[in-house]
Amino acid sequence: PGMSGMSGPGLPTEVLCLLNMVMPEELTDEEEYEDILEDIREECAKYGEVRSIEIPRPVPGVDVPGCGKVFIEFSTDGECQKAQHALSGRRFSNRVVVTSYFDPDKYHRREF
Amino acid sequence: SREDRKKKRKSRWTDEACKTFIPGLPTMIPAGLSKEQEEAYLLQLKIEEASRRLRSGDLGIPLNPEDRSPSPEPIYSSDGKRLNTREYRKRKELEETRHESIQRMILINPDYKSPPDYKAPQIKVSD
Repeated sequence: PGMSGMSGPGLPTEVLCLLNMVMPEELTDEEEYEDILEDIREECAKYGEVRSIEIPRPVPGVDVPGCGKVFIEFSTDGECQKAQHALSGRRFSNRVVVTSYFDPDKYHRREF
Repeated sequence: SREDRKKKRKSRWTDEACKTFIPGLPTMIPAGLSKEQEEAYLLQLKIEEASRRLRSGDLGIPLNPEDRSPSPEPIYSSDGKRLNTREYRKRKELEETRHESIQRMILINPDYKSPPDYKAPQIKVSD
């Protein structure tokens, strides 16, 4: 509801946003966080050069923007598009991964 | 050590060939949705996914017992049947996810119509 007629992913950028991937409580544990980061880095490296990854982590008492999402900066939008096609609909920790392109300027300003 | 841990553990990703399609809910979404639109979309996806799994019995229990999470102490009924089987626990988890997502959806979108088979669980008051 409300989502019918939602158009496709739009024009690619070099930043990919992964949604429905991680639960904030999984990111509080240091080891679990490191493992999640490694799993994502390893997988994304198959589709291009990963420049940076941001996984906003929860801070007690603070509403952290983008917490629960994962952002990956590739070196080109072509690589990002390849990753989007490969990762959308796959499962991560048994959750269906949803993706969207993300505005690189916002990414660099950390406006998640 | 960290290296040993890395070797032992399995990636959280499923196989590349194994993708999930949910009719009407694309997994590639446009950039720049509002927070509310995005939340409503993800809730809808969670509700559909949990409904589908409960209906089909595809509960996501790994085939390889080594990949399954540790079981709690068994609880038996008076006639000796185990009550908290893995299947039971998974169903309960999915029902809870579905219920919480539907409740949240009703809260953020008053026009939302819950699935026809959905009944909010009765809150039991013990006396």
